[in-house]
Amino acid sequence: MTDGIDLRHDVLDALLMDRNRENIGRCDTLMLELRDGKPPRVATLLIGGQVRDERIGKWMTHLSRLFHGGKRAADEGVSRIPFAAMRSLGETIRMDVVRDELPSEHVEQWLAKHVICRIPGAQGKKEQGKK
Amino acid sequence: MKKWAEVALGVVTSIGGFLEVGSIATSIQGGAQFGFQLAWAVAIGTVCLAILMEMTGRLAAVSGRSYVDLLREHMGVRFFIIPLVAVMIPSFLVLISEIGGVAIGLQIATGIAFQWWAIPIALVGWFLLWRGSFKMVEQGTAVLGLVSVVFLVGAIKLHPQWNAVGESLLPSAPSHDKVKYWYIAVSILGASISPYLYLFYSAGALEDGWSLTHLGVNRVTAGLGNVFGGGLSLMVLVCAAMVFLPRQIGVDAYEQIALVLATPLGRAGFALFLISLCITCFGATLEIALSGAYLLAQGLGWPWSENMKPANDARFATTYSILILLAAVPIAVGMDPLKLTNISMVLSAASLPVTVTPLLVLMNDRQVMTTHANGWLGNIALVLISLMSLVLFFVAAPLYVLGGG
Repeated sequence: MTDGIDLRHDVLDALLMDRNRENIGRCDTLMLELRDGKPPRVATLLIGGQVRDERIGKWMTHLSRLFHGGKRAADEGVSRIPFAAMRSLGETIRMDVVRDELPSEHVEQWLAKHVICRIPGAQGKKEQGKK
Repeated sequence: MKKWAEVALGVVTSIGGFLEVGSIATSIQGGAQFGFQLAWAVAIGTVCLAILMEMTGRLAAVSGRSYVDLLREHMGVRFFIIPLVAVMIPSFLVLISEIGGVAIGLQIATGIAFQWWAIPIALVGWFLLWRGSFKMVEQGTAVLGLVSVVFLVGAIKLHPQWNAVGESLLPSAPSHDKVKYWYIAVSILGASISPYLYLFYSAGALEDGWSLTHLGVNRVTAGLGNVFGGGLSLMVLVCAAMVFLPRQIGVDAYEQIALVLATPLGRAGFALFLISLCITCFGATLEIALSGAYLLAQGLGWPWSENMKPANDARFATTYSILILLAAVPIAVGMDPLKLTNISMVLSAASLPVTVTPLLVLMNDRQVMTTHANGWLGNIALVLISLMSLVLFFVAAPLYVLGGG
């Protein structure tokens, strides 16, 4: 991992997993940190929210703003994970974070708590389930 | 021995999964208006689907990741939004049509108008997705779907000139109603090569835990399964050609379509047609709802699996729930299922380029495919399918306006 990573090829859009190998989204963009007197360095991986809309295009940003009624803060639903939290880089990237603590997972948690788990059978074991 | 059971099951799944509202409706329209002449469209559609399924299955078995997953990663989110929308919209329309297919089958069987059936069908479907595992959804509907072998029996009993059927496997130009002919040809292709089919297949390979050892199973399942499945679709066309064409019966409603097996097999044929229609459309309903959820979840990196409890993949479960329930609404308010089927098949055909062409890149990426990348034969096939999909993209809308509706 030390001799250079092709950020665009290996990191951008790659599937990210947390400490427990659960999917936490995709690397939607990367941020450089500018430091006084030192060269800039890749500091954070960003997931979800407006960041992703912007990458798709202006039309998506507008659509998203329309959908949220213009009330969305710029970093709402965006997870910022320090690059240093990267634990392994292969077909997927494992980050030393916990899914439940990420802002981009708020929708998942909200749905699970307020909708899915109120329907009977959501937590029951599936027949022949393997995973 | 276990491998053989797996192969047999895979083949059955492909056969059972092939026939659905689109292939039944388009094959019957084709047969009723042009006899055996459009058999080639069924054949080409079948071969293309077999190739695409083999490749997406191989991709999943080798890389351990689904086609959609890799599509997003390699093409980026800006590109990914195009196949996402281009597959989601036609798939949703096909989903409505499938629910419509089951509803029409139940209407003819019970006399209760199809509108009333839409919501109950969606609820039963949703319940099975909510509670069932991937294996149950995949194999349950496939094994029951084998009832559609009745079309083969029907075709044999009608004593068609088999050599004429065989000759029609080569494309030929029509002598009358040229626009209608090409319009139905495009519909048949769209019905056979639905994107949801290979996206579902590639996700299914992962749900079933495929690895390199499954490459053989994949080849046989995709190859043999689709040849048998496409064969059944061809038998539907043959039945329609023998029953409707000589009597000059045009088919513009499902009530007429339902008579296709009554001539060779009597009342039992009529009943078996309805059972086949309901089961195959219901199976496709489940598969399409899941495909939509796979597409979104894999593209955006959510947790997903039909084998997980809904509480652990909430967005995935929410997506298929919304899709299946929302799709029941147009049928419940009385939208004509057959008209909708026709539009969906044409749109489906037009959407092919955005999922077929990127496959060419992925199947040749040695980092992903290692030594199992496409050979020259596979690449030629894929280039030809891509070119055909581009043609379909450009001709679909004009043909629908001029020949369909």
